Amino acid sequence: MIRVAAVGDVHVGGDSAGLLREQLATVPERADVLLIAGDLTKAGEVEEAEILAAELQGLELQVVAVLGNHDHHADRPEEIAATLRDVGVVVLEGDAVRVDTPEGSVGVAGVKGFGGGFAGANGTEFGEPEMKAFVRHSRERADALELALRSLRADVRIALTHYAPVRDTLQGEPPELFPFLGSYLLAEAIDRAGCDLAVHGHAHRGAEHGVTAGGVTVRNVAQTVIRQGYAVYTFGEDEPTPASRARATSDGVVAPAR
Amino acid sequence: MSGRGTPEYLAAHLQEALARDPRVNEPELQVSIVAGRVRITGVVPTEERRAAVDEVAAERCADLEVENRTTVGRYPDAEREERVT
Repeated sequence: MIRVAAVGDVHVGGDSAGLLREQLATVPERADVLLIAGDLTKAGEVEEAEILAAELQGLELQVVAVLGNHDHHADRPEEIAATLRDVGVVVLEGDAVRVDTPEGSVGVAGVKGFGGGFAGANGTEFGEPEMKAFVRHSRERADALELALRSLRADVRIALTHYAPVRDTLQGEPPELFPFLGSYLLAEAIDRAGCDLAVHGHAHRGAEHGVTAGGVTVRNVAQTVIRQGYAVYTFGEDEPTPASRARATSDGVVAPAR
Repeated sequence: MSGRGTPEYLAAHLQEALARDPRVNEPELQVSIVAGRVRITGVVPTEERRAAVDEVAAERCADLEVENRTTVGRYPDAEREERVT
């Protein structure tokens, strides 16, 4: 059995050093890989990424992340990503990674994604330049996700985003916010390329469970939604927990497919 | 009442401040007007950030009563697994 842990929206800042490490203490015993669905930092400051990197450094399993809107606030997303990569975290944006575990391979394709809304109430590339740019950005990130997913060859294939691909997992949020919380374009990309699970964050007041129109399972893992340190999703036949199994080594992580 | 002093506008301005003020940076908090009082709800990661919500609200809404109903997220270890396939 392959076990995938996931959490989003941890918002690490100068006032929260040590908290995440404590919340993730058991994850290497419970899972083969940890996904973090964006909003890693409070305000996208490199100093916050350094605190997060210290929390994740030495964690005995592969961590795969995408950035969220908070991680862009200081306009330094590349530095945030580089800081995390320095401690072995795989940070995806329009690319994919495969993590080989003793139980099989886990492929993850990731993008931040963006808003725009959902079928029947979605924004379009029409009107002012700002509106067209908004929707175009969403479309471009969704296209990048589809390409990355299509490049993946793995036993379990997962789409990792910050923004939501479906409305199901936004239930609990004010409907007026839906266009700022996700886009149907992500779900369409996921359905076209196919995968076993789509994981996202961003919707703090949303619901955990959803499904795309094409039948792909969607989970909102924002920490305020799952209400625990992390969620665990399993794939394949049952067997003892992986407490004593070797972690995926760096040799098991293939270069991102760009 | 009109203009900048209107509670609805004050609530919107406070939401903007809670997002942008570096002491808080929490755009996900919900600000509403309930019986003429400003109510702030949502979850923050630390006691420090909850106290900062009080500070920012006091600065921005000096003429209104503010209810800070935010809570600090305390998350237990993963208690369950879900089989996907």
